Amino acid sequence: MCARSSLYSNPKPCKHLSDYKLRCVSNGFKDLQKFIKAGSNGRARVDKDNTEVPRCSFCNGYRGRLFMCLICSSVSCSSHVGLHTQSENGHDIAVDIERAELYCCLCGDQVYDSEFDGIVVSGRVKDLPMDKNGGFEGVEGRSIKRRKLDSKLDPGINDDLKKARLLMSSRDQRQKSCYPLGLRGLNNLGSTCFMNSVLQALLHAPPFSNYFLNDRHNHDQCPIKSGGKPCLLCEIDTISSAMLSGDHTPYSPARLLYSWWQHSTSLASYEEKDAHEFFISLLNGIHENSEEGRARDDSKDKGDCQCIAHRAFSGLLRSDVMCITCGFTSTTDEPCFDISLNMPTSSFSFKGIANKAVKPNEQIGLSTLSGCLELYTRPERLGSDQKFCCQNCQGTGSSLKQMSIKRLPLVLCLHIKRVEHSPSSKRFLKNDQYLQFPFSLDMTAYLSSSIVRKRFENRIFAFECHNSDSSAAYEIFAVVSHFGKFDSGHYVTYLRIKNQWYKCDDPWISEVDEETVRASKSYMLFYVQKRLFNIPRVSPRRDPLASGSK
Amino acid sequence: MSGPNDDNHTELSSYFFEDLLDSVIVDIASECHRIARLGLDHNLDEEEEELRLSEEACARVADPSYNGEMNSKYVVDIFGQAHPPVATEIFECMNCGRSVMAGKFAPHLEKCMGKGRKARLKMTRSSTAAQSRHSRGSPVSAYSPYSNSTSAHRLANGSPAAGEPYSNGTSEEP
Repeated sequence: MCARSSLYSNPKPCKHLSDYKLRCVSNGFKDLQKFIKAGSNGRARVDKDNTEVPRCSFCNGYRGRLFMCLICSSVSCSSHVGLHTQSENGHDIAVDIERAELYCCLCGDQVYDSEFDGIVVSGRVKDLPMDKNGGFEGVEGRSIKRRKLDSKLDPGINDDLKKARLLMSSRDQRQKSCYPLGLRGLNNLGSTCFMNSVLQALLHAPPFSNYFLNDRHNHDQCPIKSGGKPCLLCEIDTISSAMLSGDHTPYSPARLLYSWWQHSTSLASYEEKDAHEFFISLLNGIHENSEEGRARDDSKDKGDCQCIAHRAFSGLLRSDVMCITCGFTSTTDEPCFDISLNMPTSSFSFKGIANKAVKPNEQIGLSTLSGCLELYTRPERLGSDQKFCCQNCQGTGSSLKQMSIKRLPLVLCLHIKRVEHSPSSKRFLKNDQYLQFPFSLDMTAYLSSSIVRKRFENRIFAFECHNSDSSAAYEIFAVVSHFGKFDSGHYVTYLRIKNQWYKCDDPWISEVDEETVRASKSYMLFYVQKRLFNIPRVSPRRDPLASGSK
Repeated sequence: MSGPNDDNHTELSSYFFEDLLDSVIVDIASECHRIARLGLDHNLDEEEEELRLSEEACARVADPSYNGEMNSKYVVDIFGQAHPPVATEIFECMNCGRSVMAGKFAPHLEKCMGKGRKARLKMTRSSTAAQSRHSRGSPVSAYSPYSNSTSAHRLANGSPAAGEPYSNGTSEEP
């Protein structure tokens, strides 16, 4: 029924709307543009005559919903909106004054039109302060420059994708043992489960593992290694080979530990026991040891580095800060290896109003991953104590900050912040609350393009150059869970290989049910873009012949 | 259109409150209508399914008769192997050359590399929640070793007490 564009569909107009458009050829819409104002709630409204309160021409009422005819500007309330179109033939389309939404009087329903939405957005944007280049921050039109930059990022990624697909299909045929290749336990070297858990996840991340499988880092030619220094890439390569060797006795990643400690001598606390911090530290180290990382000019923009760590994990986070005084929005993009999410406070989970319906069977107080992501991307008011200085009006009042994802990585790592500081007991406590997370994740709603669109009430408008090549659909492949208290406990990784879940508990590898993973208290979630993920059509739960079904 | 026909303050405030409430309700209805029509909620079914599966999983796992996961006592792994609580593989320390047992390697290496407890810099555990609130996403410090950690969200493993030798993180099943 609807023509589908990448993010939303353009609904088919009703007959009356089509007729109106044919007749008036959008003159009616264009005339409205100058009357579009921002209401007190930040939404667009139509303000034709700001000296008088609009009243229904039939009953003189001013309460409830008021509609203004697009042809003759006559105002009717919701009870009498049908009367107007009866008395005046062809006056079928009106606009809700309070909300700048089109209404078809004959259909009796709200209708949508991309041209009208475009007018409304332009009407809103005209009142926003402009930046130096004459553009509007936060609302980017299609920019050729930007498109070129995006395509520059892709060559390495597309290569990886092709290789990954080839490798995945060929690997299936070669497999002889009944257990997947690459599954092997890791010995705990003395409280090193934080390292083991991350390694298991990394070595099963498709583009990352394939890099080493393809022997892209050659020990013999590694200049760092020949210089006698520790090379983290060499060490990961060694471990990768060991995991794929077919030997099932647990492997001791001692050299990696040694190299990592040597590498991070300047760390404030090298004896870091947190899996997430090890993950970030390792990726940074890999970047530095990589050919691409070493060749980089320090002053150049980060984020488009082609080293394997960046190619696999790097995304771009956008931060919009809007000055409340003047409305100017300044935007900064920062590359990231992962996203750290706060859990919603235990009283209730945050669901963006009108963007997610509340299901009747949803428990009050259930924390979900989407709740965390919504919390992450919701506008946050920064008080005047935040030392913000607007570059447009130089005001230092309060501002509104909003995060969004400008570019999604191939492998998405979501870190759940489970540590809270208790001001009363002055201790750090672990939030052990359960967090619901999906196996299939759609990140569309958290993209910058979606967030900007939400600011303009989801109008049909080309706000951002959305790169439709990169999809926002992800599949989970690894979960790192933490058991126990804040400062003592244990890490375990659950791996999903060909729709069978395995538990990697240091040297112990066991098969587990999907339910166990779903019910676990996750700490780090690893998702990979769906197109890189190879899953069978039927899930084992529905397939009576597959293992693990009940 | 008649307004309230007496000057009772309660009625007057109800009158205005109803207006406001109606307006807010229509706001939300209009938003939802737009989202539905534009297909922005096309994932609703999948999301509901995921929620349902998670709910079922939690219920099943909480059931005392559930034995999907080996409860703390591993006998053999999927390869049919058994493992001792402390890894017994012996190898050479790459720093000093001595033979070390795998399960004791990390504490050995710590002393061996001269990074004893005295040499350790103080942990900055005084970071407040407010500080961590603004450190969203882990920035990629691409040009220097990762050093700007706030310890506000670290989850450690192993024993925390200072001055004691490292012990294995014991697996505490929920």
